Amino acid sequence: MTIRTRLTLWFAVVSVTALLVMAVGTYVEIAEQMHHHHHHGPDEHAVRETTEMILEAGLPAVLLGLAGGWWLMRRALAPVAKLTQAVEQIHAGNLSARLPHSGNGDELDRLTDVFNAMTARLDHSFQHIREFTLHASHELKTPLTILRGELETALHDPQATAAQKERLAGQIDEIERLAKIVDGLTLLTKADAGQIVLKSEPVRLDELVRECVGDTRILAQAQEIQVGLETCEEVTVAGDRHRLRQLLLALADNAVKYNQRQGRVNFSLQREGTCAVFKLANTGPGLPAELQARVFDRFFRGDASHDSAIDGCGLGLSIAQWIVTAHGGQIHFVSGLNAPTTVTVKLPWLA
Amino acid sequence: MERERTNAPAQRVLVVEDEKKTASLVRQALEAGGFDVEVCGRGDEALEAAIAQPFDGLVLDIMLPGRDGLSVLRQLRAQGNRTPVLLLSARGEVNERVAGLDAGADDYLPKPFVIAELVARVRALGRRGSEAKATVLRVADLTLDTIAHRAERGGQVFELTAREFRLLEFLMRSAGHICGRMSLIENVWDYDFDPGTNLVDVYVKRLREKIDDGFEPKLLQTVRGVGYLLKDAP
Repeated sequence: MTIRTRLTLWFAVVSVTALLVMAVGTYVEIAEQMHHHHHHGPDEHAVRETTEMILEAGLPAVLLGLAGGWWLMRRALAPVAKLTQAVEQIHAGNLSARLPHSGNGDELDRLTDVFNAMTARLDHSFQHIREFTLHASHELKTPLTILRGELETALHDPQATAAQKERLAGQIDEIERLAKIVDGLTLLTKADAGQIVLKSEPVRLDELVRECVGDTRILAQAQEIQVGLETCEEVTVAGDRHRLRQLLLALADNAVKYNQRQGRVNFSLQREGTCAVFKLANTGPGLPAELQARVFDRFFRGDASHDSAIDGCGLGLSIAQWIVTAHGGQIHFVSGLNAPTTVTVKLPWLA
Repeated sequence: MERERTNAPAQRVLVVEDEKKTASLVRQALEAGGFDVEVCGRGDEALEAAIAQPFDGLVLDIMLPGRDGLSVLRQLRAQGNRTPVLLLSARGEVNERVAGLDAGADDYLPKPFVIAELVARVRALGRRGSEAKATVLRVADLTLDTIAHRAERGGQVFELTAREFRLLEFLMRSAGHICGRMSLIENVWDYDFDPGTNLVDVYVKRLREKIDDGFEPKLLQTVRGVGYLLKDAP
């Protein structure tokens, strides 16, 4: 129940009670006067008349009061509704925005001040976290470079045995993986902070898709996965060529990695209304519905999280989502138990 | 790594890197590769040194005390200094690479880099521009005609996709030098990011099946943990 309804109801109860008290009081008063004059019971007729009078005059007054109260309440609470709307607009991405001040110097202004101070503190904390991640990834790179260099030098030591070399090479692989994770984190942190400026030039999306299909065929060969291109309509979007290629390859790589032997990967690109719609379906095992919403989360790897045969840093889809959003598009992931897993990307196309 | 035997005077390289361990690692590797190396840890001092004396190449980190690498590079180029520069960056970001090349860098290597590749790229810095681009490339009995778009070995012509052709051309142009995965990704695929796939390895494997299966000697070698190498003699 809203404050407004509750207060109005209370107001109604109070008014009606007052009316009743008034009626009872009047009744008692009349009864006493009758008693003094005639020494017998109250005149039924006079009592009914008086009660009717009170109700006829009182009820409209109460109703008018209620309507007025409802209206007053709305006036009084309007700034609260406005404030609520403004607060609803706040999310991690626009913490630097401030709520508007009414300038009345009332309680609500004070509340607005408190809210603004709170978002300012949150904004500060978020910035701290971002800076921390950026610094952390930068600091990690130096020891990784040194470690890599030293392992590499050891690897080329003519006295090292084959078994030692194998171990060293394995360690270098792990360092490369770490470096990839650090790169991905740096990229996403910079994107969060709005530090990455994307180009906006006309890009033939169909050409990028064809190129990606070629690379995917090669990637899919080892697992005998068939790669198909259903439709590929000519469509130009405004965007950053490099990032769009990165997007397609990240999705294609995912579709191959989380597939089964002799499975299928299907590409399609179509124009629908004002959008270029890119779809990528694969015959992977799929994800249960409760996990699907999390596929774009950083480091989410579904059931494969403990499967070291599938390598990857767990940031591919997060990066894909960022690229799509930064291009003003949408990305969806749908997976069914017996249906293909499909990723759909919609990007506004350039006429 | 063996010191290359050559009668020409050793090339002088200035390494500008503030992180001492990285700097000494680079110095050792370059010296083993036959270069004379000087190390400097500050941007402003590096700029003075590069202006005061001629170097054959500069290995320049971006994040530096005193003056950042990009600003050193811009200042050098603004003064007409054409010393070839290899930029190092801890960030490995698209924007960074583009900014570096725009500022006048000849090459760019993101950290963590492959030391062997760094040496190969520094060596390539000197050659850059001085050699006209050959149109017919030869390694042993393998030839690649970049104009006729034809690759053959021992009289057998190979069917190559456009991407395989570019890969082979790049490997042949850097014949004898190790090519790291990242440099193949950048030069053959034009990706400014690490795609996080084994795309390069799969392509190299296919290419090797075409050009090496049934032929001796094997030309395309894998350098474990580093990258690939196309060369004639074992």
